[in-house]
Amino acid sequence: MSVIDSVIRQPLVHGDKNYHDITTDICRPLENKPTKLWWIGFVLSFLFFILLVVTLTYTTWVGIGVWNLNKTVMWGWDITNFVFWIGIGHAGTLISAILLLFRQKWRMSINRSAEAMTIFAVICAAMFPFFHMGRIWVGIYWVFPIPNAFGSLWVNFNSPLLWDVFAISTYFSVSLIFWYLGLIPDIATVRDRAKSKMRKYWYNFFSMGWTGSVRTWARYEIVSLILAGISTPLVLSVHSVVSMDFATSIVPGWHTTIFPPYFVAGAIFSGFGMVLTLLLIARKVLNYQEYITVGHLEAMSKILLLTGTLVGLAYITEFFIAWYSGVEYEQYAFLNRAFGPYWWAYWTMMSCNLIAPQVFWFKWARTTPWFLFMVSILVNVGMWFERFVIIVTSLHRDYLTSSWAMYSPSWVEIGIFLGTFGLFFTCFFLFCKFLPIINMSEVKSILKNKE
Amino acid sequence: MFCFSKSIDKRNLVYGVYDDEHKLLSTVEAVREKGFEIFDCFTPFPVHHLDTAMGIKRSKLSIAAFISGATGFGLGLLLQFYMMVFDWPMNIGGKPTSYRMLPSMIPVVFESTILCTAFGLALLFFIRNKMGHGVNPDILNIRQTDDRLLIAFDSDKLNKFNSEELNILLKENGAIEINKFSGKYANKN
Repeated sequence: MSVIDSVIRQPLVHGDKNYHDITTDICRPLENKPTKLWWIGFVLSFLFFILLVVTLTYTTWVGIGVWNLNKTVMWGWDITNFVFWIGIGHAGTLISAILLLFRQKWRMSINRSAEAMTIFAVICAAMFPFFHMGRIWVGIYWVFPIPNAFGSLWVNFNSPLLWDVFAISTYFSVSLIFWYLGLIPDIATVRDRAKSKMRKYWYNFFSMGWTGSVRTWARYEIVSLILAGISTPLVLSVHSVVSMDFATSIVPGWHTTIFPPYFVAGAIFSGFGMVLTLLLIARKVLNYQEYITVGHLEAMSKILLLTGTLVGLAYITEFFIAWYSGVEYEQYAFLNRAFGPYWWAYWTMMSCNLIAPQVFWFKWARTTPWFLFMVSILVNVGMWFERFVIIVTSLHRDYLTSSWAMYSPSWVEIGIFLGTFGLFFTCFFLFCKFLPIINMSEVKSILKNKE
Repeated sequence: MFCFSKSIDKRNLVYGVYDDEHKLLSTVEAVREKGFEIFDCFTPFPVHHLDTAMGIKRSKLSIAAFISGATGFGLGLLLQFYMMVFDWPMNIGGKPTSYRMLPSMIPVVFESTILCTAFGLALLFFIRNKMGHGVNPDILNIRQTDDRLLIAFDSDKLNKFNSEELNILLKENGAIEINKFSGKYANKN
């Protein structure tokens, strides 16, 4: 332990635990029968997952005409939801990679669940552009450089949409590796506690023969450090590339150079919003208040305050630049956002993202779980509206007045969006049941912080 | 996932059991001072400085990571140059398809570098540790992944005289118990 912890700081794990207590506490939900609450949550999310399957099948069967997109607004809820989910998927790698490089030890009891959340959110996100292609059986050739019979037409490497394909698939794979590597020692712990044959077999299968030998640990530490080092630019690149989908176009309101940092700040903001929402429920339901302490919540709310204010700054900068540039179209786009037919979306975004997190200047707001939960919901809502504002209000009135149009989603689009929540929570409930949601081995390593 | 020709030896080990990483660290130092050869230590969580205390050299995995990253970098460039410049240049929106499109190759090159680094590193990590799906672990003590830290010695290399000395050393440094293990042990590391 190379870090001397201050005596006036709160310990990272409360309740005077020893190593064995950590193991039993964190393995409890895995080893006991699922609770009633778990079943209710799981069944409910599974129903929504079925809704997703139904609406996606319908979309593929009939074609994307069942969505309410039109010639003017050709990106609607689908891309809004795509950016929304991919943004949520940023907190996991941020917590486990960037906070590892900064040696923030409080990350250790939340990184596992945040990484799982990342993976599930990226799955939800990737579905939207995929199904938006309409004929998904041909679409494969438009997004992946696969040899084909169209005169060997390759994908267009000049297009930011293609960079996005590479960015997201890399992000998903690397996050998955990072998550799984972190899980191996804990799966081994569960394996050695397993009673039934079935559990022994599967946990043995996935623990890959882990014994906890010092040589393995030494390599493991090197591998996690390198993975953290490469994941840090990766996580920043993913949302930068997503923002280039917009920023490289000439649509007023999209053609902005501050988009990459602005999107990254927004992604971290929305990711932490979702992490807070999930963990506030999980720590209560699974009784993990001693591991995910109020100190953790406070740290996360400080990040929400920082990134929320950054995002707010970006909103105001955009407005300023639109005026300062002297471009009439830009100026109109921003005035139309704030005072046009979609004014309600703009002001929902402003109040949820810029104003709501300002309550975190007060310690009471940072340390009161029920209040934090409400603000985290507001953050989720606000960040969804941010993407809606950027996409729909920029498109619906651009250069040509005769093609101005309005857009509202069809029931299929709403169904798909609700369905992705079903997919996300179904995965999350299964994760809570079968894998330890807190990184046991890391939490054990910070239990006795003495020099 | 992988197939290994495991050299499975029958081993006779003697191991001390600890419940505190600081006691284990001081044992490792004391034991090495007396000239005992440590077979291995097993801990349920990473104990910092334990590897250096045991005299384990730093792994070369970081070099492997660099090499796999450089491979990814090259592959990413090759992929795009082959498809967009050499095989079938496509003029879409008047954007360049010669070497002048290099700036728009950067994102994909960047991603493929990271992808290859991560995959190469993880794969080599598993191979180096002889880990794989379905490999049976050689557990000395069922609680070594829970709350016990072990230090193991090859008892064939000890004689009666210095095994007494070792027992005393382990006890002095806070071992809860000292056990023997003999049986099949896949020769790892």
